Amino acid sequence: MKNLSHEEAFPELAAVALDATPPEFSAAVREHAAACPECGPALFAMEETVAQLGQLVPQQAMNPGHGAGIRSRLLMRARAEREAHSAAAPGPPDLARGVASLTGLGQKLTPGSQRAVDAEVKKILPPKPKFNLFSGVGLLALAASVAFIVTAVQLARVTSQRNAMLAERAPLPDTSRRADTARPPASEKDALVAAMAGPDVKIVPLVTKSAIRMGRMFWNRASNDWTMVVYTMPPPKPGMTYQVWLVTDRAKISAGTFQPDSSGHAFMQAKYALDRNALRAVAVTEEPVGGMPSPTGLVVVSGSGAP
Amino acid sequence: MNPSEQDLAYSREIRSNAEDVALIRRMCDADETALGALYDRWMRSLYSLVFHLLKDADEAEDVVEETFWQAWRKASSYEPSRGAVSTWLLTIGRRRALDRLRAKDRRREEPLTRGDSAVANLPASGQDPSLAAEGSERRMHVLAALRELPEEQREVLELGYFQGLSQTEIADVTGQPLGTVKTRMRLAMQKLREPLSMYRESTQ
Repeated sequence: MKNLSHEEAFPELAAVALDATPPEFSAAVREHAAACPECGPALFAMEETVAQLGQLVPQQAMNPGHGAGIRSRLLMRARAEREAHSAAAPGPPDLARGVASLTGLGQKLTPGSQRAVDAEVKKILPPKPKFNLFSGVGLLALAASVAFIVTAVQLARVTSQRNAMLAERAPLPDTSRRADTARPPASEKDALVAAMAGPDVKIVPLVTKSAIRMGRMFWNRASNDWTMVVYTMPPPKPGMTYQVWLVTDRAKISAGTFQPDSSGHAFMQAKYALDRNALRAVAVTEEPVGGMPSPTGLVVVSGSGAP
Repeated sequence: MNPSEQDLAYSREIRSNAEDVALIRRMCDADETALGALYDRWMRSLYSLVFHLLKDADEAEDVVEETFWQAWRKASSYEPSRGAVSTWLLTIGRRRALDRLRAKDRRREEPLTRGDSAVANLPASGQDPSLAAEGSERRMHVLAALRELPEEQREVLELGYFQGLSQTEIADVTGQPLGTVKTRMRLAMQKLREPLSMYRESTQ
């Protein structure tokens, strides 16, 4: 389309701002406006005015599951793109940013809440030495290569064992009848005892933000067994599940997903080799069913992995 | 709305947009958590707008996803001097929705009509609980400004914005010459600019 004169373009600005003209014509008007000291500001002002009309549209709620799915896909794509770029120019990870995401504060992060994020970082993570550079691709590769063996077993098979093994302090549901029928074989029992007890077992209490104890993670640093027990987890939202993360300076490693039973109890086991001083925190977030490669949802419970 | 309420609304707008701009800056630094936060803040408004245009939940969801992805990819092209972040997002989403509408040329299947007035269907301020919610000042202000327009000017604006009709289509629907439609559209915009200027200035 030919270049428009000022006299031709100016009367069309309102229609262009409304997108009420053919695309080619709009493009010609915009091209003129970009170079015209009178039409340019006028067009911007009209576009801003037009956009205010959007406030009047009746509010419509999106299907919550779909909304969460779109959010997750966007974050996954954005993260993948960032990591692809960082592969070309690796740099140190932004730990505060990662924890902001992990703690859920990142969901509503504003400049004003940055301090809260910093406080959360200090609360969860102990003072630590410098960490090595770790590229985004490295993180991805690490996450992808984690050889987790996640075994979910019925709670009834575990709670009675847990009582006997660790004198767990949480109140237990009436599981004796189920335990009778679902008692694990002796070899499995021994494996559970070994995973959750012994001098090399580190116990990480899992608490809510209000410091309500919700469960524990038992990390057997000799055998690389991770055993998590939670007692009073609320059910996740429809279409969502809980996902467990092992937080180190370099990565947030998925340890699997779980759904609590109707009493809010759940048990999960995983095997993963981690340097005995590497764990900074254990966190449980709410994620879309199937889990995510990295945390996107709010942290429900967490615990410090400080030595 | 008395002056003090308007001052408060203006102040809130400035703060809100400043937070949005900070999120855009973080997106420019490839911080995807900022994208999530921006999504949480504006997903509903954007979805409402594109759903209103497309009348199809699946397509509206697609447009929402495309819009936020474009915002992520083009965050560095956002210029605060050209308008609020919300304006930028809603403009991207509306254009994408209109592209879909026009690509399918749905309006050939359904005869063009004047439709219901978006403004006439909205309750007066104070009658709608949603208008009393936090952040509704702008909505009330925009509604009041639109109601001040002469009916024929308001109509062309509504047909253009809320139904996504082109100038030519508006001329067909209203039975007015194209030149008259252009004039009404321009006058309507000029009259709206003044009362709504506070939202534009709040971005600068």
